[in-house]
Parts: sequence; C-alpha cells; structure tokens
Amino acid sequence: MKDVETRPSRYEWVIILAILFASLPLILGFSLLVLSSFSKEMVTNLDLKSFHFTLENWINVFQGKLATTGGIKTNILKVTFHTLVVALGVSGVVTFISALAGYSLSRIDFKGRKHMMILLLILHAFPGVALIVGVYLLYRLTFPQSPDLIRLYSFFYVILARAALEIPMSVWLMKGFFDTIPWEFEWSGIIDGASRIKVWWKIMLPLIKPGILAVALFAFLAGWQDIIYVRTFLIDQTLATFIEANIEAEYTHMPLIAAAGTLYLLPTIIFFLTAQQILLQGYSGGIKG
Amino acid sequence: MNKINKEKFTALSFFLSPMLLMVVLFYLIPLIMTVYISFTQMRNWNVERYLKDFVGLYNYERLFYMFQHDPTFKAVLLTTIVFVGITLIINVFGGLALALATFFISEKPASSFRLLWLLPRMSPIAVYSLVWYYFFHGSEIGTLNSILMKLGVISQPIPWGQTVPWGAWSIIIFVNGLVGVSFGMIVFTSALNQIPRELVIAARVDGASAWEISRKILIPLTKWHFLYVLTWQFLSLLTTYPHLFLLVQWDLVNRDYGTTLALYVFNTAFGRGEQDQGLAAAAAVILSIIGVIGGFVTLKVLQFEKMMKRPRGDF
Repeated sequence: MKDVETRPSRYEWVIILAILFASLPLILGFSLLVLSSFSKEMVTNLDLKSFHFTLENWINVFQGKLATTGGIKTNILKVTFHTLVVALGVSGVVTFISALAGYSLSRIDFKGRKHMMILLLILHAFPGVALIVGVYLLYRLTFPQSPDLIRLYSFFYVILARAALEIPMSVWLMKGFFDTIPWEFEWSGIIDGASRIKVWWKIMLPLIKPGILAVALFAFLAGWQDIIYVRTFLIDQTLATFIEANIEAEYTHMPLIAAAGTLYLLPTIIFFLTAQQILLQGYSGGIKG
Repeated sequence: MNKINKEKFTALSFFLSPMLLMVVLFYLIPLIMTVYISFTQMRNWNVERYLKDFVGLYNYERLFYMFQHDPTFKAVLLTTIVFVGITLIINVFGGLALALATFFISEKPASSFRLLWLLPRMSPIAVYSLVWYYFFHGSEIGTLNSILMKLGVISQPIPWGQTVPWGAWSIIIFVNGLVGVSFGMIVFTSALNQIPRELVIAARVDGASAWEISRKILIPLTKWHFLYVLTWQFLSLLTTYPHLFLLVQWDLVNRDYGTTLALYVFNTAFGRGEQDQGLAAAAAVILSIIGVIGGFVTLKVLQFEKMMKRPRGDF
C-alpha cells in the first residue's frame, strides 16, 4: 500500500521530470532505432526530413536481402530460428537443473550444504572470461570428427556452456522460491511414505510454478541476448552475430539492420509488456554488470 | 538409520548430480585448463602443435614486461582502473538516486520508470550496442552530434569515441553504467520497501523534507545493501566485457582506451589477427585470482553465512 503521507505531491512532478530527463538518451536511442526500421534512411540524426515511411526494410529482412542492390542474401528466418533454439535450450537446461538443485538446498539438510551454497555464490562472482579459454579448449578436445555432427554439436555445446553461467544464480533464485512454501505441504506426503523425489514432483513443483516461470524467463532472455558464447562456439549465425557482422559490411543497407535489431528486440518488448511483475521482482537475482 | 541414510543419498544424488556435473564440466575443468594453457605457448588454437609445448612462467613474464614497457597494455590497465572506478560510482549512486526518486513518486510512474531502466539489461547486447553506435557515431548521423550541431554548440561533428582518452572512456562508462544502474535500483528499492512506513510517516508529520528523510532515515537503514551493491558491482565490472565488445569491434571507441583487461583477455584469445591464448590465459588467471579474493571478501564483509539457515522441513 502506497500511502499519501509518505510523499508530498507538490514535488512529485519535479522528480518525474528529473527522471524523465535522465532517461532521455535511453528513450531517444531505442525509439530512433525502431523508427529507422520503418524509414528509407536512418533517422538517427533527428532530422525528420530523412524519415520516409516504408515497410520495405521489414519485407527485405524477411526475404533476407541485405543490400539495396546486388544479390547478397541471408535466410533471416533460419538465423532467428537458431537464436530461438539457443535461448530455449538454455532456458530448459537452467530451469530443469535449478528446480532439482534448488529443492534439495532448500529442503534437505546434508553435510556440505552450506559450503555448496557459498561455492555457488563464488561461482557467480567468478570471472566468465577466465573460463571461456578453458571452455573453448574442452570444446576443441571433444569435437566430433564428422562435419555434419559438428554443427549439431556446436548447438549442444553452446547451450550447455551458456546455461552453466546462469546456473549459480538460478539455483539461488529457485531455492528462494522453495523457501516460501510452508513445509507442512510436503510433510504430509513424507509421513505417508512418499520419497523426496516423489514429493518434489507431485507436491512441490506444482506449487512453485511462478518461480519456474521466472527462472525460465530469465534464462531465456540470457540465451536470447548472448553474443559472446554464440560467437565463439556456434557455427551457425544468430541474430547477434548477424548484426555484428553486418555493421561492418559495406554493402549493408543500414535501415535493414535497424529492422533486424528491432526484430531481435521483440521478445524483450513482449516480456516487458506481459511479465512486468516478474521482471521487476526477480531481476535483482541472476544479473551482472 | 542405515536405510534412511541410503534413501537420503539416493535423493541427494538425484537432485544435485546434474548441477554438480555442470559445475565440474564448465567451471572446474575449464579453470584447470586455463591455468594449464597459461603455461603453454598456445596460439591460433593450434591444439595439436602447442598443447604439450610447456614454457613455464614465460607468459607471466611477458605480461610483466608489457606492464612495464608496452604502451597499449598500459592503456588497457589504465582504462580498466578508470572504467571500474567511475562506473562503480555511477552504478551505486545512480541506483540509489533512482530508487529514492521512485520512492517519492506515485506507484504508477515509479514502476514505469523502473521498467524503463531495466531495458538496457534486458535488451540483446547486439541491439543495445547498435543503439549507442548510432547515438555516439562520430559523423553527422550520430544523434549526439546532430543535437549539438542543431543547438549550435559545435559546428563540426566530433568523433567522440576516438577522442582519447576521455571521449572513449566516457562512452564505455556511459554505456555500461546504464546497465549497472538497474541492479542498484532494484536492490535499493526492495531495501526501501522493507523499512517500516511509520518511520517515514512520523518524520513527515514532523515536517521533514524528502531530502532530510532520505539522508537521516532511508540511507542509514540501507547500509547493508549499499555494501552489497558496491562489492558485487565491483566484481562484475572487473570481469564482464560483452557490452564493451561490440563498441570496440565496430570502432566506435578507440581500441586501446576502450578495452578493459577482461575484454583484452577475450580479444587476445578469440579476436582478429594474432591470437595468443597462452598470454590471454595468463591474464585470465590473474583476473581470476583478483575475482576469487574479491568474492571471499564480499562474503566475509556481508556475512552471507548468517543468511544460510538450516532447512526447517528436514528431519
């Protein structure tokens, strides 16, 4: 409950204007990018004369025509699909593993439990860059021989390696969700002779659906936005590496890259509009930067 | 008793083994491998040739030599110090300012602003970098240049990111600062919401202003969170680099003065041109040592262990 007494309404608009002013670059930058995707030229110079509405960029994006002239093509649907595979894969692996580990850390008392939780915190603080050299060597040493398998393997590997980065914090998050469930719920199950595994599956998982959703959402966004891991390990292109490569390419029509960027931004915007509560509450967890 | 122990063991291995497997595969083994590579001459990922080419402390000596004589490496270290220092201040105080500001306005605009400030963190890194690429672009198409030219402040577009060192530093600090502010904002917001309302209302009745309430009541009561954000963000800033990667890659900012040590490690191992994994690994080991020490200090200072209670539901 937000009560009137805690805040004076006469200053409110001053504060709102101040935050709005501070947010200006943020709002401006993102809107200009989206606007440019519907224009014949980039409108980043704030000159509305260069804005001519067109859907051409979007049509070209979906047809994969990178240059206004010439025949350079990319199958953007395939690129989007690759991005989606990585994001869903990371989300699945992270959710599954943290739902398992989070339960045991929350509910079962065992030797080394405390140390395991400290270890997870340290791992979360651990520099990712110190790992990636070793992670890549492991990748090279486990490379399959057949060229067909390599592409598949690179998906498999990038999903696991990226998921591993999210796991420490997701386990903590999930443990937090399990902690909120009164233990009487599972107690009755255990007294009736059910095993911990059965209790976890039948009683606990249905109770923490919101937690599972939150962890899955964050892991999805982490996999969806990643550039470093997909760039290093994945043989196929994702939207991130597509944009990376095309900024430098001279043949690229820039508003088309703006359209690809907006396409890439879509899930974020969708989550923004639909899952605000989850985002605001849960985002204090699995984050760095 | 024995049966119970065995049951517990079965359950625990079911719940914990996937996580442990991931930790071993993607933290423990890579860490050992990184340390190992730092003792080899590995370059261009020529595993067959260099994996067994053991050179002892050679890479560490090279790092030390570069530290003394290489102007590029000196620029990287200086950039790391300036970047971490200033961004940390912006993240902590920016987050605190946003949390306090949204605390004093009505719920609706407050949560809209909080959501808006999550955008940098949530948007894909490539899109986020694209936005700032155009914003700070050194020609007339750059948003900042065009605003300043329209206002008549400058007559020629300024190549912000290539103006060393402060132009490049300002951009990387700004871009990463926006990402970090939301972390502080959310932690401080939840801290402020835990403070009993009565304290604020009583102060308000006594005629205290928002500023006085913040300074005398709210900030002192969020000391723990302040320390938490400070140490955690310090570690993050020291070791993360994805938000800087594309800015350097696209030449928006100067290569030397836009590269922190973490990004230097990545570019040395995976970047264009000469790849030198041995050297990168040695630098990574040094970063890890700093990171792990920092992590333990964080745990001690914040007394995280007290937060770990015995599970209630177990018997």
